[in-house]
Amino acid sequence: MPEFLDEIEACVPALRRYARALTHNVDRADDLVQDCIERALRKHRLFRPRGPLRPWLFKILLNLFRNQHRHDKRHAPPLPLEGLIAEPAQPAPQPGRLALAEMARALQQLPDDQRAALLLIVLEGFSYSEAAELLGVPMGTLMSRLARARAALRVLTDTPGEPRLRSVK
Amino acid sequence: MSRSTLPVTEAELMAYVDGQLSPERRAAVEAAVADTPLLGAHAALWRQQNDAIATLYGPVANEPVPGRLVPHRMRRPAAPSWARLAAAALVLLALGGAFGWTGRDIVGEDEPAREVLIEAAVNAHRVYSAENRHAVEVAAAEQDHLVTWLSNRIARPIDAPDLTAFGLELVGGRLLPADVDLEAGPAAQLMYQTADGQRVTVYVTGSVPGEAGANETIMLGQDQAFYWANEAITCTVVGQLPPQTLEPVARAVFEQLTDGPYRGNQG
Repeated sequence: MPEFLDEIEACVPALRRYARALTHNVDRADDLVQDCIERALRKHRLFRPRGPLRPWLFKILLNLFRNQHRHDKRHAPPLPLEGLIAEPAQPAPQPGRLALAEMARALQQLPDDQRAALLLIVLEGFSYSEAAELLGVPMGTLMSRLARARAALRVLTDTPGEPRLRSVK
Repeated sequence: MSRSTLPVTEAELMAYVDGQLSPERRAAVEAAVADTPLLGAHAALWRQQNDAIATLYGPVANEPVPGRLVPHRMRRPAAPSWARLAAAALVLLALGGAFGWTGRDIVGEDEPAREVLIEAAVNAHRVYSAENRHAVEVAAAEQDHLVTWLSNRIARPIDAPDLTAFGLELVGGRLLPADVDLEAGPAAQLMYQTADGQRVTVYVTGSVPGEAGANETIMLGQDQAFYWANEAITCTVVGQLPPQTLEPVARAVFEQLTDGPYRGNQG
């Protein structure tokens, strides 16, 4: 049991990061993580995962997120972006603050499925096959979610003057 | 056409940007990206997206973790149901002062007894149903002895349910040690088998406080488990048969095991 707790603990920072990006809300994100850990502690005897703990924990968190969303389908009031974006301790070299705020807003406008998939890859570094398994979808579905997410982000963050791209054949 | 001259697909270009391309294709895609402005523009844009996301949320992982998210501090029981709290309160009231803390065992469990029991039943099923020569301690040929022995050891008269109507023949049974956390006492495992060798086990223990009337159906990996409890026993039926086949089996076990003189409040 203690090793199990240690293993979960090691995953908490990543779970928080993922939940924060998923919800763009500090309290909601941490509530999700707390529910996730509680469920993991309760379920570990019966559903002890065979492999590593990390994908299992993300799976629990995503299930909780989906269930919650089903309940409060009405969307939260517009996002107060100020203060939620991690105040860059080291000023971001490339994208300016405006571009970052735009990206944060664009991410939240993506359908949940697409956002969940993209963040697993880009933010958490899961492999495509791990992410597909964790989400319970075939690889092709994952890839098309990623492609649609990227295309939508491009449109949503399109700044005038940027080269317009057609889709890759 | 060789691997290196295949056209670059959108998925491949994404995999390239996400660092998930197989080494053999990476060089080819890299060359194509350098040669084809459209591919290059896409790759650059996607990379910007990745960077922006990482800049936005990456630092969250370095924030100090609030205490409520530290697993070691969270190891407390899940909120007990009101019924259990009320039961515990009664026990506390009844026992009072010196014995007051006895009630803690009821409220302070880490998880419901049924989860412990189901897990034990499924584990035992996995271990012994895979055995050929040592699947049981006492074979069905000595059924009378088997039933008497197990009944004595779990201190509950049980009969081996007759499941021949479902094509399940009794193989035999064994006694298993108790879970140290529970007061259920040792467990009896009865094993049944279909003509084509599919095994179903019935795992029976003495009753556990607060479990009477409980019911649970759960899928664990390949194994389906049906659990129920009454005032006298807890029983878990485990097998890999399809749920629609196993469910009537579990019901038959319930009916036969609760039909005796020791049946509890089950209707």
